[in-house]
Amino acid sequence: MSANSTLDIKNKEFILVGLLLVTVAGLAAFFPSLGSNAQGEVDWISLPLVGFPIVVSGILMAFASQESRARKEILAGPIRLATLCFSLIPLAISTALFFDWLIAVDWALGYNEYALESRYHWMESIGVSWHVGMDGLSFPMVWLTTFLVPVTIIMTWEEKNGAVYHPLLLMMGGALIGVFVSLDLFMFYIFWELTLIPMFFLILSWGGKDRRYASQKFFIYTFASSVIMLLGLITLYFLQPAQDASTNPWVGDLTGRSFDIVTILDQANHGNLGDGIFLGMGMQKVLFVLLMIGFLVKLPAVPFHTWLPDAHVQAPTGGSMLLAGVMLKMGAYGMFRLPLALFPDALMHYQHCIMAIGLISLVWGAFVCLGQTNLKKMVAYSSVSHMGVILLGIASMQPIGYAAALFMMFAHGIISPMLFAVCGAFKHHYHSMEIGAMRGMAKFSPFLAVYMMFAWMASLGLPLLAGFVAELMVLLAYWAIYGWWILLPGLALAITATYYLWSMQRTIFEGGDEGQPPATLLGENPPDLTLPENIGMIILAFFTVLFGVFPFIALGMMDDWTVAFFEGVFNRGGI
Amino acid sequence: MSETGIITYAVLIPLLPMLAFPVILFLGGIFNGTPGWVKKAREGGLIALTVMGASLALSIMLILEHLHHTGASDIFTWFESSWWNSSTGDIRTDVFGVGIHVDHLTVMLLFVAAFLCFLINVFSIGYMNTDPINDNRNHRFYAEFVLFCSGMLGMVLADSFLWLFIFWEIMGLCSYLLIGFYYERPSAAYAAKKAFLTTKVGDVFLVIGLVMLWNLFDGHLDYAYVFNSANIAAVDPGSLQLALGMMFIGAVGKSAQFPLHVWLPDAMEGPTPVSALIHAATMVNAGLYLVARMFPFFAEADVGSLSTLAIIIACIGGVTAVMAALIAFVQVDIKKVLAYSTMSQLAYIFTGLGAALWLANNGYSEAAVLAMGAALFHLFNHAMAKGMLFMASGSVIHEMHHAHHEVAHHGDGHDDDDFDAQSMENMGGLASKMPIASTAMLVGSMSIIGIPFIGGFWSKEGIIANTWTVAMEEPIFILPALLVLGGAGMTGFYMSRMWFMTFAGKPKSEVAAHVHEQTPWIPIPLVVLTFMSLSAIIFAGMHSTSWLGDYDHGHFMGFFEYIGEELHHVFLNENPFLLMLTYVAIGLSAILGPSFAMALYGGRLDDGEKAKPWVQWAIDLSSKVRRNSHFDNSAWANSGLANSLHQRLHFDAVYDAAMLKLVAGFANITAMIDRVVIDGTIKLIESTSQAASQKVRLITTGSARDYIMMVALGTLGIALLLWGVA
Repeated sequence: MSANSTLDIKNKEFILVGLLLVTVAGLAAFFPSLGSNAQGEVDWISLPLVGFPIVVSGILMAFASQESRARKEILAGPIRLATLCFSLIPLAISTALFFDWLIAVDWALGYNEYALESRYHWMESIGVSWHVGMDGLSFPMVWLTTFLVPVTIIMTWEEKNGAVYHPLLLMMGGALIGVFVSLDLFMFYIFWELTLIPMFFLILSWGGKDRRYASQKFFIYTFASSVIMLLGLITLYFLQPAQDASTNPWVGDLTGRSFDIVTILDQANHGNLGDGIFLGMGMQKVLFVLLMIGFLVKLPAVPFHTWLPDAHVQAPTGGSMLLAGVMLKMGAYGMFRLPLALFPDALMHYQHCIMAIGLISLVWGAFVCLGQTNLKKMVAYSSVSHMGVILLGIASMQPIGYAAALFMMFAHGIISPMLFAVCGAFKHHYHSMEIGAMRGMAKFSPFLAVYMMFAWMASLGLPLLAGFVAELMVLLAYWAIYGWWILLPGLALAITATYYLWSMQRTIFEGGDEGQPPATLLGENPPDLTLPENIGMIILAFFTVLFGVFPFIALGMMDDWTVAFFEGVFNRGGI
Repeated sequence: MSETGIITYAVLIPLLPMLAFPVILFLGGIFNGTPGWVKKAREGGLIALTVMGASLALSIMLILEHLHHTGASDIFTWFESSWWNSSTGDIRTDVFGVGIHVDHLTVMLLFVAAFLCFLINVFSIGYMNTDPINDNRNHRFYAEFVLFCSGMLGMVLADSFLWLFIFWEIMGLCSYLLIGFYYERPSAAYAAKKAFLTTKVGDVFLVIGLVMLWNLFDGHLDYAYVFNSANIAAVDPGSLQLALGMMFIGAVGKSAQFPLHVWLPDAMEGPTPVSALIHAATMVNAGLYLVARMFPFFAEADVGSLSTLAIIIACIGGVTAVMAALIAFVQVDIKKVLAYSTMSQLAYIFTGLGAALWLANNGYSEAAVLAMGAALFHLFNHAMAKGMLFMASGSVIHEMHHAHHEVAHHGDGHDDDDFDAQSMENMGGLASKMPIASTAMLVGSMSIIGIPFIGGFWSKEGIIANTWTVAMEEPIFILPALLVLGGAGMTGFYMSRMWFMTFAGKPKSEVAAHVHEQTPWIPIPLVVLTFMSLSAIIFAGMHSTSWLGDYDHGHFMGFFEYIGEELHHVFLNENPFLLMLTYVAIGLSAILGPSFAMALYGGRLDDGEKAKPWVQWAIDLSSKVRRNSHFDNSAWANSGLANSLHQRLHFDAVYDAAMLKLVAGFANITAMIDRVVIDGTIKLIESTSQAASQKVRLITTGSARDYIMMVALGTLGIALLLWGVA
């Protein structure tokens, strides 16, 4: 390569990426013919939502992997642009599915019914299939993931080594969607663990000072818990009643059993009819606990939460956004999908335990937040606290509580990325995460101050922002069962307000009016948000308001789902 | 339930200001500092004024439409959720709707809110845009201002307790933003935080109350369902009382009543229009509105079943009335006096509401409606008078600032930064220099004191009489009844004290001698509200015709006929006890209290200075009283009580200490335990497993002899195991 060809190189890369773009756009146009399910309908999930992001991000990463550092720098620009464009394709598809632009989808499904279902044989001997589908539980999470990936890419536009970083985010998105759309335990577990890999590298390569420790702790902690979950899944697989492979094609030829979630849920539902208890009470309890451990660690609930603050504090902004926004919700999603649906008797048995864990997470998390001096750590613990609300919703045993938990997953999925984006921008401009290191931010970074206040207010449950509805609904259901215990969530609400206001008092406010920028600014001028950060924040803020003012957009689907769930699981074919 | 008419557009009343919020904010962000924005749009002030004017116009149309009948209009379904009956398996659908509800209570509060928001907006354009410290940040003020107004208007119009709460919280946010408007001042930041957190404590209880109510009423919080008498009858009164009690704690926080009152005086850190807006006209009335909304529960529930709550409401009111009045005795900051006065007057209204609710719950429905009218009429009079007083005090402070700048620049050029333009110890003798402000403040003070025939007199007499009426039936009510009666005299003292310290006597500082009334826009609302307070008797016309939803009781009389009735009712009551009470109250509030204040703080103006005749009489009277009384209060001024009044009876110190020591201390301990114990356990597992693997690694010696040995031992072990099993 000649020395004077810098411009040349750039042009070449642009051409390459352009070609790639065209290819993928072509692919996108041909998605409909790439796969179709048994009914001959288009498979809008497997390739467009799951396969495409993972494959494309792999290609993009490979693109720059063998290059020198200098060329990686040059490649970063076009690659991140390409990544952004590609990440918009799943978003377009999931949005179109919501509005029925591609195909008319009826989201008012019965229990254990799924829209856009497609399945293909994979390992017929043991009953593994590639089975995807979505319902009111998974679709909001899928949309959220497709939404967050481009927003995260925009928000962290200037992250170093973008040639690898941005494709990793896209891959992360694909793996997360895979978790939400899998209707097969085998697939589910594969995607469940696959999400760890991009996140591990995000923390390890782009993290802070202690990134090595944090990434390993994150990986080993959550992996160990998923192994416990895996133990439960395999036990479940072997304990399910055997079926004849000739009547059900999705049952393994060798084992007579299936990894298919729909099949297992059907069997459990059948076993739980009337006074029946699927697998017996003892085994229900064991399996329930095994599965719940995996999900509680992921959620995370106190006392299994300590990996989260470490991971968040060390993770880059983009990693934190996806981690808090979607990855934590895998835990809650898993609970709804498997243990709650499979083992209603065990759930009733452990109902108060779940309430206690949720309450402890909520109250303990809030107090720990108040005791933090690090802004990002505080926000990380606030996630622990808010995830406690989901457990309270589950323990309430009411459709309104379940819908609240689902809406909390969704709302927190929009609000918490904004919280972490604010933390990231704060770090970016003020080179510190300590609360109180920078005061009077409203003077130097008015935009950042506004977004911070907005995000903080959204997180503490200000009405007409997304988080409020979920908290209110949980409390409505909570009182009916637990009565005056409601004072503890009430206390948590007050403490939440306290730590957020206290941190704002010492960052946005105060500082006198000397007009001197603080020393930590290191002469950066202007010390306010960059354009991409601004765009990202505005998008997140817009959707926080949208779902706060019009919660029915998402809640309608969730309410339908919970009603079907209660009819199917708790009513036992009508008591 | 939907109707036609203005009510279908009523949603615009809160919606317009809410939409103006982002508009002003963004336009301000873009055009900040450009001449057009500053001069033509007044940094967003005129946009806000237009919007508030539209809201006011719509409100008045709505009020005219609904003077004689209630109305309701649905807007949309916010969301739906489901409830599972675990014994029958039935699933019920609960609808959370959004809608407009208009009745007497709405009409009155709506008028107060829309009218005062508009006037305060006018005042703000004069006050905010002429102060250099506000340059280039007024758009933030106006944006937050309109959002706040939206919250208040929305709260009043909402058709369910849920939406009442939602707008309530929006107001809380805006008060936080507005109090912390001068964000760089640590005191403002502290005050803002304090206001938000103190009211948040109340709000948490309010939420809990709403949750209880929702569960009691089978998934309903909308007025149409919960106020239905059949539905109320179906509810357990004990639980209902608890739920309403929880909601009342929210009202205590929002309306700054004991023991959640500490935020209000600090909240004076905000610019003066904010004080007028939040602390007089709108937000603090939200708590009263909430309690007044509970009236149907009390009227429909079993007789006597909710009396305890009514007594609690009245007692909290009575205690706060006297406590706040006492603290107001020693304040020298003009706005702080008004803040404590607000607290005290709101407490009056709470006492009046408590009496009305007690009457309603004990079967005296006619008397209850009248008592309710008195309490709400006091709310009206207080809002008008206090809004005016705050604006007038703002005018004084503003001109003091201007005069201070002039004096400082004409002098040796060095700016005396310690000068406190809000301290009444720097004022004095302003009556001749600020005719409009002094008149407004005189009328406002008289209205608050309850000087016969002016503003608050009518309503305060009513509250005192009603409380005593209840006290005749229910002995516990004697406590609030005595407190409000004593409080009337105290009001007379501290309000007069404020007026005489500010406007009478000789100027107490060089600055005060140079004050002129010169800022445009400011006098408009003062004049309007002065006439409003003076003509309260006209508005009192609606008082005896029942403010409440039950319109059948109400009847409109002829105007003069009504005034005659009211005068007769107040001054020549047939009931000798009430008649005596009236004159005792007048004696205390209109004669005794002001006389003490005159004796201590009265005095002539500087020679050659002359106030307007309708003000001059008060000054002349005060100097005469002072000359003849030789009253000395130094003993009491140095007493321990006065000292602890200066410390605000130590509430703030105790709360701060509790917050810092208990809450923050506990938080630090939890954070420590989280790190050391919970994470420590994980780290222990980690290090133990590492240590264990280090040990296990030692077995891998690399020597063939060891391996053979292990194989042999292993084989032996398996053999033994098999043998044992067999």
